[in-house]
Amino acid sequence: MVKIPKRHEVCRKFKEQGGKVAAVLPIHYPRALLRAFDILPVEVWGPPQVDVSYGGAHLQPYVCSIVHNALSFLKTGGLDETDLIIVPHTCDSLQGFGSILLDFVKPRQPVFPVYLPRGKRQEDVEFLVNEFKSLYRGLEKITGKSPKTDEILKRIEIEEKADAKLKELYEIRGEFSFESGKAKSRSSKGDALSTYDFYRVVRAREFLPVEEFIELADEVISEYSFVREGVPVILSGIVPEPMEVLNAIEEAGGFVVADDLACCGRRLYGGGKSSEPLKRMAERIIFGPPDVTRGNLIEERFEHLKYLAEVTGARGIIFYTVKFCEPELFDLPDLKNMLKSAGIPSVQVEIDIGDPLPHQTITRLTAFLEVLA
Amino acid sequence: MSLRDHLKYYWNVKLVGSAYLRWQRWQAERKPRIPRNWRTDIIAPPLKISARTKELISRHYLEGRYANGHKPVAWVTSGGPVEILQALGFYVLYPENHGALCGARRYALELSEEAENYGFSQDICSYARTDIGAMLSGKTPVGRLPKPDLLLACTNICQTVLFWYRVLAKHFNVPIILIDTPFVYKNAPEHAIEYVKKQLEASIPVAERVAKKKLSFKKLKEVVRLSREASELWLEIMYRGKTKPAPISVFDQFIHMAPIVEMRGKPETVDFYAAMLKEVDERIKKGIGAVKNERKRLLWDNLPIWYKLRFLAEYLGEHGISVVASTYTMAWGELAPLIDPERPIESMAKTYIYPILNRGTGYKLQKMRDMVDEFDLDGAILHSDRSCKPYSIGQVDQRNRLISEYGIPALLLEADHNDPRAFADEQVKARLDSFIEMLE
Ligand code: SF4
Ligand code: SF4
Repeated sequence: MVKIPKRHEVCRKFKEQGGKVAAVLPIHYPRALLRAFDILPVEVWGPPQVDVSYGGAHLQPYVCSIVHNALSFLKTGGLDETDLIIVPHTCDSLQGFGSILLDFVKPRQPVFPVYLPRGKRQEDVEFLVNEFKSLYRGLEKITGKSPKTDEILKRIEIEEKADAKLKELYEIRGEFSFESGKAKSRSSKGDALSTYDFYRVVRAREFLPVEEFIELADEVISEYSFVREGVPVILSGIVPEPMEVLNAIEEAGGFVVADDLACCGRRLYGGGKSSEPLKRMAERIIFGPPDVTRGNLIEERFEHLKYLAEVTGARGIIFYTVKFCEPELFDLPDLKNMLKSAGIPSVQVEIDIGDPLPHQTITRLTAFLEVLA
Repeated sequence: MSLRDHLKYYWNVKLVGSAYLRWQRWQAERKPRIPRNWRTDIIAPPLKISARTKELISRHYLEGRYANGHKPVAWVTSGGPVEILQALGFYVLYPENHGALCGARRYALELSEEAENYGFSQDICSYARTDIGAMLSGKTPVGRLPKPDLLLACTNICQTVLFWYRVLAKHFNVPIILIDTPFVYKNAPEHAIEYVKKQLEASIPVAERVAKKKLSFKKLKEVVRLSREASELWLEIMYRGKTKPAPISVFDQFIHMAPIVEMRGKPETVDFYAAMLKEVDERIKKGIGAVKNERKRLLWDNLPIWYKLRFLAEYLGEHGISVVASTYTMAWGELAPLIDPERPIESMAKTYIYPILNRGTGYKLQKMRDMVDEFDLDGAILHSDRSCKPYSIGQVDQRNRLISEYGIPALLLEADHNDPRAFADEQVKARLDSFIEMLE
């Protein structure tokens, strides 16, 4: 089993070295900008095991469990070690979350909302650059630092290197090359990394300092092989929580060969071009892999999934959706039909991230994988 | 666009249809008919203007039936900047208004189920389900909806519209104009207003291409001026609710708000609201209240519950409660002062970024609090609308603060604006009863 330090240990160590820690809500945000201010972003995707009644004191039951749990986590002291909170405007529910924090909950930490434009036009890039400028000014105030262009560029380079490593992990597991789309296998090395462990590594990007993540990825690349037994499938959705779902897929005879998860595959950003740092960060996010919450068309997501299925040989797609998640729910009927016409079967299972993996979900996954086999 | 389509349009809409609808209105005005079982002992009869509302709306949908082939058609989100399209001669359809109409006529569930059978979840907005159901099945209580040549999605009400319009774009295979209006947590930064302005500018050539004509700025200014005039009149009508007894209730406002939403920028809309204001003033002069024995006055927050308007009006009216003001209907009037016909694009950028739905939860609370003072209200009903997350998130705190900080009785009423499955009569009655007790 790959050894990954715990989140709170990472935060404590980072703070002991004089840095600050930001709690960041899903999905897209400028990591390099935070690090240029010596702030470590630690992402909050729920998390699953909290007393949700605290969130329920502010939110109606029809708000998704990611938002419910994040608020409960905050209210039960889960974010006490953090110095600021960043809320990207991902959807109406996170918009409400950010607004409630600013107006009613008023946590000890300053809250910075960041609006993400929903297009890929020139004006969208310009707007996001301006949002980052506002964030820069906000961070200047709380840290007293004013990182220069070359310092931010340096941080961007390291983040881009980490993202390239992340892509490499995906390529090795899927035995293909993102660049050429061609199959590319490698000789097996060392112990086999389970699907569960693969995602533990990938998701360490949510909280490890980038330098440590690169080391971790290098270690995994050089010392492990990847489980590739059974039926290859693509996992799509927001977040693989509870993570037991990954074991359930393996136990049912499948393995995840690629994903379109908001916390993972949708953040395999390409390398930037602009030498202007804020613009470079904005372009990387805006032109990243298709993401409903960033305004991509259903057709773009379909093309992306079809491409992934082609290059990895995936035989089906599991849509693993969070209950009440409108961005996902709108896409699915047409997306599933389009995939079906392209000969790619899919199944949808819905979860509440606070609940244990329902037996019914396991049964559906098993039945789906049996058909694919 | 063929000659046949033009002739069909002129014959059916301009000649026969309009004349028939006008005649129907005259008849209704001559012999006003009170709907069956209307509790005139509790609430005032419907406004006389209702006949005209019916005529306007029917003509609008009739025009839609024959619009394809005669003029370009755009489907637009309810808070969307419509003036450019109006100035280019588009027939503009608001799926949300059509959804509301289906809701009020108890037709929404059937359409919703069409969408659900196709695979759409019951957890997505019921307006979207109603509209998508209509699109998939071709069913509608208004005869037929025209196919869009262009879609315009403006995010100033929610992100939902973006997902919903992507579904429409895919099915109709037409372009979408996106006007993305960053959410205003506190105040809109200059760069956000500039961003909206640039998108409005960029939308012009796209709309021109579809309309196959050039935009006349003179015409645009005229449309913007009419838009402002209609919004000002609507605002005046809302403010008449300050009178005691209130001449109209929010339930009347909900019924008569369709033109301000979907016919902004048209001269007939201005005339319509001028006439409505006159009638409201006549009621005030005669001391007529929307509720016969007005004892308590309330605020309504969030969307209406379209399929239960009369039930709620009568149930509350029975207890002498008039719901006189609403944050929702106010949204189409309160921004009127920002509209400047001499600077159409700049002023539209500001106007369209600031609707209440695009503003923070604290602003909404302040707005409610101010309205309670302005209208001298005794409490508030916050409709927690399962379908509308952007409007509803924050209401738990807003309700609590209204009660604890301002001493204003407030009720959180769980329902859904268009899906009757989320409304339990007995449960609602029980909640209302205990709230009414609190008001006493
Ligand atoms: S799960 Fe969906 S609704 Fe919830 S925060 Fe994420 S994107 Fe928004
Ligand atoms: S989510 Fe709310 S604002 Fe958006 S379309 Fe539905 S009812 Fe309208």
